[in-house]
Amino acid sequence: MGLPVWLHLLRKHRTNPLPFSSLMFFEQHIQSSIKHRRLRYLLLFALRAALILLLVLAFAQPYIRQNILPTRRTGEVTVLAIDNSLSMRAGDRFARARREAKSAIGGLNPGERAQVVAFGQRVQVMGEVTDDHASLNAAVDAIQLSDSRSSFAELSRAVRSIANSLHLPLHLHVYSDMQASALPANFNDLRLNADVRLESHPLVTRTEPNWAVENVVAPRRVYENGKTRVLATVASYGAPKAIRTVSLELNGRTVDTKQVEVPEGGRASVEFLSLDVPYGRNKGDVKIDSADTLAADDTFYFSVERADPRKALFVREAGNDAALGYFKTALEASGQSAFEVDPATIEQTSNLNPSKYSFVVLSDVGTLPPTFENELRGYVRSGGSVLIALGRNASISNQVPVTGERVEATRYSGREGDLFQTAAYLDSSHPSIQNDNRWDDVKFYRAIRVAPGAARVVARLTDQTPLVLDQQLGDGHIVVFASTFDNIDNDFPVHPAFVPFIEQTARYLGRLDSGPASVTVGAFGELRDSKEVGAAVDVVDPKGDRVLSLAEAVKAQNIQFEESGFYDIRRPNGRNELVAVNADRRESDLTPASPDTLALWQNTANGTGSGSGGTTAPERRPMSVWWYVMVVVLALAVAESLLGNQHLSVDKEAA
Amino acid sequence: MLQRFLDPATLASISGLDLVAKTVVDGFVAGLHRSPDFGFSQEFAEYRAYSQGDDLRHVDWNVFARTDKCFLKRYRGETNSQLLILLDTSASMSYGSQPVHKLDYARFVAASLCYMAHGQRDAAGLIIFDEDVANYVAPSTRQGQLFRLLHAIEEAKVGTHTDFTKPFVHFQNFLHRRGIVVVLSDFYEKPEVIIRTVEPLRFKGNEVILFHVLDPQEIKPRFREPVLLVDMENAREALEVSPEYARNEYRRRIGQHIDDLSSQARSHGLDYFLMDTGRPLDEGLREYLAVRKGRF
Repeated sequence: MGLPVWLHLLRKHRTNPLPFSSLMFFEQHIQSSIKHRRLRYLLLFALRAALILLLVLAFAQPYIRQNILPTRRTGEVTVLAIDNSLSMRAGDRFARARREAKSAIGGLNPGERAQVVAFGQRVQVMGEVTDDHASLNAAVDAIQLSDSRSSFAELSRAVRSIANSLHLPLHLHVYSDMQASALPANFNDLRLNADVRLESHPLVTRTEPNWAVENVVAPRRVYENGKTRVLATVASYGAPKAIRTVSLELNGRTVDTKQVEVPEGGRASVEFLSLDVPYGRNKGDVKIDSADTLAADDTFYFSVERADPRKALFVREAGNDAALGYFKTALEASGQSAFEVDPATIEQTSNLNPSKYSFVVLSDVGTLPPTFENELRGYVRSGGSVLIALGRNASISNQVPVTGERVEATRYSGREGDLFQTAAYLDSSHPSIQNDNRWDDVKFYRAIRVAPGAARVVARLTDQTPLVLDQQLGDGHIVVFASTFDNIDNDFPVHPAFVPFIEQTARYLGRLDSGPASVTVGAFGELRDSKEVGAAVDVVDPKGDRVLSLAEAVKAQNIQFEESGFYDIRRPNGRNELVAVNADRRESDLTPASPDTLALWQNTANGTGSGSGGTTAPERRPMSVWWYVMVVVLALAVAESLLGNQHLSVDKEAA
Repeated sequence: MLQRFLDPATLASISGLDLVAKTVVDGFVAGLHRSPDFGFSQEFAEYRAYSQGDDLRHVDWNVFARTDKCFLKRYRGETNSQLLILLDTSASMSYGSQPVHKLDYARFVAASLCYMAHGQRDAAGLIIFDEDVANYVAPSTRQGQLFRLLHAIEEAKVGTHTDFTKPFVHFQNFLHRRGIVVVLSDFYEKPEVIIRTVEPLRFKGNEVILFHVLDPQEIKPRFREPVLLVDMENAREALEVSPEYARNEYRRRIGQHIDDLSSQARSHGLDYFLMDTGRPLDEGLREYLAVRKGRF
């Protein structure tokens, strides 16, 4: 800095008087040019001083904290994402979301393109990318509230997909109540592309109290005449301790009403034991008088069907009733008498038609009458199921009935060698054992080793002998249990695992759906199996409308339940079903996500998002300006050269 | 001391060139230039009948004896010309950006001309003036005239400011014979005033030559930076001048002044020659003489 000062101030020109012959041709007004020259001289000094000052400044890496307004990038497409999940039914959230979205549309510059999407559990694109405000407003109006739960992960995935397909930067506006429960477990699912700017518009900033019927446990099918137990859970989300009135209704008629004290932020259970279910499919629900802003979660639907028990044929060797006793007892102990066991000896099977039974049990039968065995094969191929227990008779006949598989060996445990075998491997994904796989203490003394072939090995013993095999034959299943149910070849029947095994296997083989009495919105229901192709399935939604078109009715394999209420599914084979659908109760928790979490989400797009709070407020952020300083230095250097040349131009001539 | 002015090389180059009179001015050297008038020299021209009042000394008595008539003999006169040098010694003449300032340069020119006139046996005189006549050496061909002239030139001191009016009136009183009048000055005066003052000399049959002595810095001033110029003829007058002005406006004005003076001088029958002190002395004189010779 001293250099220009020294050059300009210390070496400042001092005017020494210079004698001249005559001033005849000089005039007084030339003083102005002197002043101009002095001014230029000072300007030159200022330029040089600024040049050095800025040069020093540039090396000091200067930065400024600047209010950075969200700038619109070239070709940026605005995506307006409106939450239409169940929680948006609370208060006027959805109306406000629409208003704010329309306001954003009104703020778009001419030619600026936008797209409207609605998101809940799925993302629904409401229209094309357009700059037509009328179309965008119509798209906003077209969004309807749903009963699904919101998923920010799904929204992020859809936005990533849109960004990849458009190849343009996106400005994502999210109009939502920003429920914390909508955030995914894995934060990486929220990741946005680098060219996506996220701007969230939380419609609420504090938790609103809410009560909801969180769950109802009721049997889906009732086979016995008597009172049915219904257990309801009432939950409080951010609400104070209160007494709520809980009502049980069946087919629109109030069956019972109870009051329960719901603790603050906790849950309370209500048990109804007075439900008398009539024959047929019945619509049940549990209601509370919550008086909160979200009424949609005050009712929990469930369906219950009253039917006669199904028959199962139990074939055993005459005189061997131990297995029958254990099997029958196990089925009855399961709590629901869904099956009624018809015992029969091998000799009695000649006159039996297996097709009227839900499934057939062959308990160590050895050799069956050929006609019955053939009928069983046909029965299985047409969709029937057989449970075969192998024991002494199977080792004698050396083959498995119905399947005809050869018995490879009979494994005995005795005083020599292993005292017993245990189950070493259980395929817990199989319906027979999926809910109870604690077979550790079960001792197997004799097992019939059968080559598994194409069958699925569900369980193995410690010596790798297949214990449970599931073989599909035609449309039916044959489950082979490589031991007996008589507490002789094993002690399985006296272990707790026996009852669930028999119960689950019976349900599996009898095709008795053991699903819950209700499903959540967004779940899928199976409409038909493979042999029902071409048959029309009629589905009526909670509002009474047919869900499927004629074309879909003969083709659709499954259906997604999108609304809460009752779906009536009518199949051509008479297997009609009433499905109760409830909204995901995670929507009942109206706690908004913390601003920190939202800020983290915004920062997944390389931190290009605006500040939290959902406003378009400018963000203060340090911005390096050394490059701009260098540009100014360059400009000053050019200006200094030009001015200096002009200032010193006399020197060349006068030199 | 005289050698300072009479540089042999300079004088040799001047001697090699004859100064030829333009019209009726006598030659610098007798015999070299014929006089347009009839005089009384040895060379016979014609006879003329006597008329009353003629000088009886020119009567050819031999003819009178033979014819009893009075005739006058007329001879072609070989008269010497008279050179009078007016040397301006005002303060402005002491300016010089060169080793030789304007007054010195003018001294060289004056001395050279005197020496040349002396070589041609012409009468040479000198008037040194500033605002008044500082010294006067009457034209003469007497012995020692050259040294008197050179001494007067040597002794010329820088005076005050220039005033053409007074010395020129004085000069007109001194001038009795026609001849060549050389004015050596920087002519810091309006051209009209200069011409008006000098022009009466021309009426008396003199050939007037204006030598405009200027320093190169006066013609094309070059300043690195603004300068405070002090008038040498009036120290109280000072102006700060920017290089731009000196480079542009001043040059235009001094050029205009030179042009005006030159054109007006020539329009009034005066010779004008600009002597740049930056040029060699002999070169300037030779050029001037060449120009004069070319005109004949």
